[in-house]
Amino acid sequence: MQLVARRTVLAASLAGAAAIALDVALAPTIAYQAPQARIGEPAPAFALSDSNGKSVSLADFKGKTIVLEWTNHDCPYVRKHYGGNNMQRLQKKWTAQGVVWLTLISSAPGTEGYVSGEEANKLTLARGAAPSHVLLDPKGEVGRAYGAQTTPHMYVIKGDGSLAYMGGIDDKPTTRLDDLKTAKNFVDAALTELAQGQSVSRTTARPYGCSVKYSS
Amino acid sequence: MSGFDLCLSARFSNILPVRIEQDRPSAQPRSARGPARAASLLLALLLGGHGPAAWASPPAGERVEADLVAEPAAIAAGRPFWVAVRLRMLEGWHVYWRNPGDSGEAPTISWHLPPGFTASPIVWPTPQRIPVAHLVNFGYTDETMLLTQITPPGVLAAAGGVNIQADVTWLVCQRECIPGAAHLSLGLPFARGGTTPDNGPDNGPDNGPDNGPDNGPANGRASSRESAPENGRQNAAWEATTAGIFAVARRAVPRPAPWPARIELERDWATLTVDGAPLRPTVRAAYFFPNAETLVRHAAPQELSIMRGRLRLRLERSALSTTPPTDAGGVLLIEDSAGSARQAFALTDVAIGEAPPPPQGISLWAVLQAASLALLGGVILNLMPCVFPVLSIKVLALIEQAGGSRQQLRRHGLSYTAGVLVAFTLLGSALIALRRAGAEVGWGFALQSPVAVGLIAYLLLAMALSLSGVFHLGSSLQGVGRGLAQRGGLGGSFFAGALAAVVATPCTAPFMGTALGFAFTQPAAIALAVLLALGLGLALPYLGLTLAPRLIPCLPRPGAWMERLRQMLAFPVYATVAWLVWVLGQQVGPAGLLAALAGLVLVGLAAWSFNAAQSAGGWGRRAALSGLLASLVGIAVAAAGLERNPGEPASGAPSAAARHEPFTQARLDALIAAHRPVFVNLTAAWCITCLVNERVGLASDAVEAAFAAKGITYLKGDWTRRNPEITRLLEKHGRSGVPLYLLYAGDGRPSVLPQILTPATVLAEVARLPDPAQRRGSLPTPARE
Repeated sequence: MQLVARRTVLAASLAGAAAIALDVALAPTIAYQAPQARIGEPAPAFALSDSNGKSVSLADFKGKTIVLEWTNHDCPYVRKHYGGNNMQRLQKKWTAQGVVWLTLISSAPGTEGYVSGEEANKLTLARGAAPSHVLLDPKGEVGRAYGAQTTPHMYVIKGDGSLAYMGGIDDKPTTRLDDLKTAKNFVDAALTELAQGQSVSRTTARPYGCSVKYSS
Repeated sequence: MSGFDLCLSARFSNILPVRIEQDRPSAQPRSARGPARAASLLLALLLGGHGPAAWASPPAGERVEADLVAEPAAIAAGRPFWVAVRLRMLEGWHVYWRNPGDSGEAPTISWHLPPGFTASPIVWPTPQRIPVAHLVNFGYTDETMLLTQITPPGVLAAAGGVNIQADVTWLVCQRECIPGAAHLSLGLPFARGGTTPDNGPDNGPDNGPDNGPDNGPANGRASSRESAPENGRQNAAWEATTAGIFAVARRAVPRPAPWPARIELERDWATLTVDGAPLRPTVRAAYFFPNAETLVRHAAPQELSIMRGRLRLRLERSALSTTPPTDAGGVLLIEDSAGSARQAFALTDVAIGEAPPPPQGISLWAVLQAASLALLGGVILNLMPCVFPVLSIKVLALIEQAGGSRQQLRRHGLSYTAGVLVAFTLLGSALIALRRAGAEVGWGFALQSPVAVGLIAYLLLAMALSLSGVFHLGSSLQGVGRGLAQRGGLGGSFFAGALAAVVATPCTAPFMGTALGFAFTQPAAIALAVLLALGLGLALPYLGLTLAPRLIPCLPRPGAWMERLRQMLAFPVYATVAWLVWVLGQQVGPAGLLAALAGLVLVGLAAWSFNAAQSAGGWGRRAALSGLLASLVGIAVAAAGLERNPGEPASGAPSAAARHEPFTQARLDALIAAHRPVFVNLTAAWCITCLVNERVGLASDAVEAAFAAKGITYLKGDWTRRNPEITRLLEKHGRSGVPLYLLYAGDGRPSVLPQILTPATVLAEVARLPDPAQRRGSLPTPARE
């Protein structure tokens, strides 16, 4: 009788130890993640002041295709695309077809590319740019929410609010003007496909350029 | 550092004549540095030994100084040689690695070589991690050498030379970035007749007739120029410094990794696994630089685990690419606390996806090898402090009962073996199932649980007390002999076997690591087979004695010494208990440790009561039994305390100071509905990052004051045990685990704080919230107007 009891206790404690070990091991291992904008998921909502001091929110453009362009006018890669009239041409081509083009500046005050609203308007005028709005994000919140890394870094948002493209503007990660001629422009391709009611075939590309000059 | 400066000075003062000869200003129209460089050269010449000061930084207005250096003074037909494009940056500026990281651009070299010459791709030095705000770049500061191997054609003219040219482009960044380019050219004479100072093994007779015994300073690697050149002091010095330059350049290049590596891709994770026996637990840190630019989030922490000669880095996958990279290779930087030096290894041919099945031909041999290693490891395991006492007890019992029937002895041996094997099968199956489910567990996974550690410690203490003679457990544990006499001890032997298997888990024996490391890369059946071999090894000594009872007479005669030995054997067990308590101390902190120690005291009480109950009668027996019962309950409570306590020690006093409420979704909803700001901290006891964050980022007075000033309610959700509410909140934010820090501004839309918290980031986020008075008036926050 005693023997049986002892055995039972022993068996129970063994089983118990095994069960607890299992239980703990089943618990998820350490895992964490910073937010990342993802293709097919809703684009993070935001509201920012534009260069004219007007508040612009992503929700204002429900149902429309939206392009987000991170920029820093002093970055050599940005200068390639504006110097070669590439960015302006894209802006004009697509805003004419009802696409909303938002140029975002996430440079922190005192860093390269940081501008006041007035300076931003002057730049737009001087470069013959045609964005729908230039949005000022000096705290870098919207940039961080989207995971914008470089200037330029491009995002295309579909009418339903989901992200359709993110990454570099094209496949030539250089500062050479000549490369514009042979580059395959992913943003133009994505917008063309969306305009034709198709889904975007190339949804991501490596963003290239200068780092966004975030506040540390 | 001064040594390095010296090296520089020697290098420059000696390299000058050659450089002047090499530099043809007319041949570098795109280099804006022509005049500047000439001035520097002149300066260097004038200053002599002080030249390097002028050279240590590029000329004014230039952020990068580029030049081209060849290793040999002269080249020979068909003999590959090395050249380096050297980029020297102004302080604070950097150029990029082949994968520049979150931004930037790798340097490019486009070679203009004479017909028949070919150039290898750039051999990239090990990069540095260069953080910029929350982004990370991979590149080089100060100076870097981009090595390229150039192969001349099989036939060269008997005399003369060639000119090799390179168009180099780069992007150099501090905070702002500036593209740069240079056209570099270098004249290289053909090796010709003359004394050959370094006619090493590389450029011997096979170099053809133009490479006579007296050919000039020919091509070759650093290894071929060990002997000092004999001709011309100036030339000799020049060679020494060139050799020095290339030696430094080669040291900066990662070594080819001798281990197989693979990357498993999930939606959010890329797990790099490197199998290699030399990877010891002394590896303190590791970092993987991926060649592919959109494989991982470069700025994300890389979580290192090392298990049985296998290094694993859990990398956060970049959302920028959904397709597997064509090249999953990269550079693995390893910091070993034993060597304390950093070592860089180039991982090439990294397999992508699931672990490839072992090649069929080798498989059987490999399995047999692993199984025999496991068997050997199992046998040795018997000598480890975890198992040795259990085995000894069984053997002592055997000696006592040497006269028993052979059949009975054999049955006991088999029962014990069965106990070991069943326990190993159960543990192994659980382990395999967990690993299948994606859990990162290894052998001895029970030790991850403080409760399991506590219970094993209690069990071992009870055993040790029994050995010390505080109480006698009777046949079930020790008395195979008594069991024999009673014909009832087979179950006891079985459980003794199972006990041996369980107490063995904290211990590792030689050969086990290799065997188990192999086993868990294999299909389940093979893994189990190897595990069972280990179990068989564990059971073998005892099984052998019972199966071959003729051996028993070889053992010493029973006697009083056995009691002494048994008592002595208690001490390794006490030592094991002490070790387990130390492990617990790491896991649960002082508060949990107190619970564990209280449990140990109660084990003592229980043992004493048990003995008293056995020897006493009547009331005494009843009192002793109730004492036993009470102490067993106490032990259970103490063990449960281990489970509850863990979160507290690390947060400790600070968590009491920053007063928080337990998280519930209902409470959160209510606070949001009332437009109250809320800080949610989702944490778990086993999450080291969480604990560090709490201590570093949340526990300061400033943070507490800021919370109070803004009227923030602090909700803390503990995910140490499963909690579906917390899981749902995590999933809502795209997370699969803790930590997650959410700051609700009062409008129900949380901002997500970084997973590495500092008081500054917390304070900055909190400062954005409106003041309590303002909040009542208007809801909008700056982020959402």
